[in-house]
Amino acid sequence: MEERPFPVKRNTLVIGAVLFILAVFAWAGWANFEYRKQSAERLLANSAQGELVAAEEDGAPYATPLKGKAAPAFTLEDLSGKKVSLTSYKGKALLINFWATWCAPCKIETPWLIELRNRYAPQGFEVLGVSADDIDRDDRRKLAEEKKEISGAVQQLGIPYPVLIDGSSLSEQYGGLDSLPTSFFVDRNGTVVTAQLGIASKDEIEGNIKKALGAK
Amino acid sequence: MFAMDSRIRISAAIALSLASFQTAAQPPLFDGMGRAGVKTAAVEYLFPEQVTLPANTPSTVTLHFRVAPGLHINSHTPKDSYFIPTEFSIPDGSGVRLEGASYPAGADFTLPLDPDTKLSVYSGEFAIQARMVAAAGNHMVEAKLRYQACDNSACMPPKTITVAMDVVGKQ
Repeated sequence: MEERPFPVKRNTLVIGAVLFILAVFAWAGWANFEYRKQSAERLLANSAQGELVAAEEDGAPYATPLKGKAAPAFTLEDLSGKKVSLTSYKGKALLINFWATWCAPCKIETPWLIELRNRYAPQGFEVLGVSADDIDRDDRRKLAEEKKEISGAVQQLGIPYPVLIDGSSLSEQYGGLDSLPTSFFVDRNGTVVTAQLGIASKDEIEGNIKKALGAK
Repeated sequence: MFAMDSRIRISAAIALSLASFQTAAQPPLFDGMGRAGVKTAAVEYLFPEQVTLPANTPSTVTLHFRVAPGLHINSHTPKDSYFIPTEFSIPDGSGVRLEGASYPAGADFTLPLDPDTKLSVYSGEFAIQARMVAAAGNHMVEAKLRYQACDNSACMPPKTITVAMDVVGKQ
């Protein structure tokens, strides 16, 4: 029988090519797996602490995009049904404190806010409490119950400053309000000087109040 | 014969190539959405996905949940009336009725900035014993768990998640 060298050579070439392709894709698959594994580990590491606090920027506790901008205007009702506008506080330094009756950390900082408000009020400082509790405007009976519940918490905490309701309606303007408490410190010109997400120490709150008042 | 073998080999190589590309197109193994508490779900339903119960007879099913690391949720019996309790429910018309539920006792927990106030919370894994009555047949139940989660310094608004279960009521 006559030898046929060419087909044998071609056969070897095809096997070699297939093996090469397989090796390339095996490597690609492994590299992809490693990449995905590392991505997963990074994400898990980021979520491991379950923190609600956003990344720090320039030493500020919460890097709000509102910093340096005018505080978004709003008009909300207080617990007596009276409409209150942000513009009516023009010329005052403000702490706009978003809180809720169900928020335990909010209740920790409230006595500090009261104390600091009383201390700095003579310098033109005020706290505006904005409740983010759900309210049902379509059901008058339910709305009355919800207002009563918020009023009960306000009394229990001895809050002397104005408390407005329906804070959730400001969520979009004020950066989502994903967690509470969230506070915005506004200077006398209506500009947000800094913000704070989550509870901070009393000293930190006081420092931010001084910033809003324009004190060094 | 050789040509046929060659075609088979090349086809196999192409098939493997396609399989590799498919792998490359998959998302990361853990598709979390960032830090827990902001965008990641605070509570995850673990199991069971399917239960078989004797039809029209009250039966207890243990439902397992996990709270994301670093977070806690109020127990079913929080210490402050303003706090929102963890509550399991089954909507009407599901083919399965919830007769009652037994919740684990909450663990005492204090926030670092207020060591004097004790909270009653769940963290890590916890289980609820639900007494269910299933009508005969197969029911895709979308039960609900309402909770309110916090970490040491802030709280998220109350949330209701769906607890999806395939419940078979066996005659």
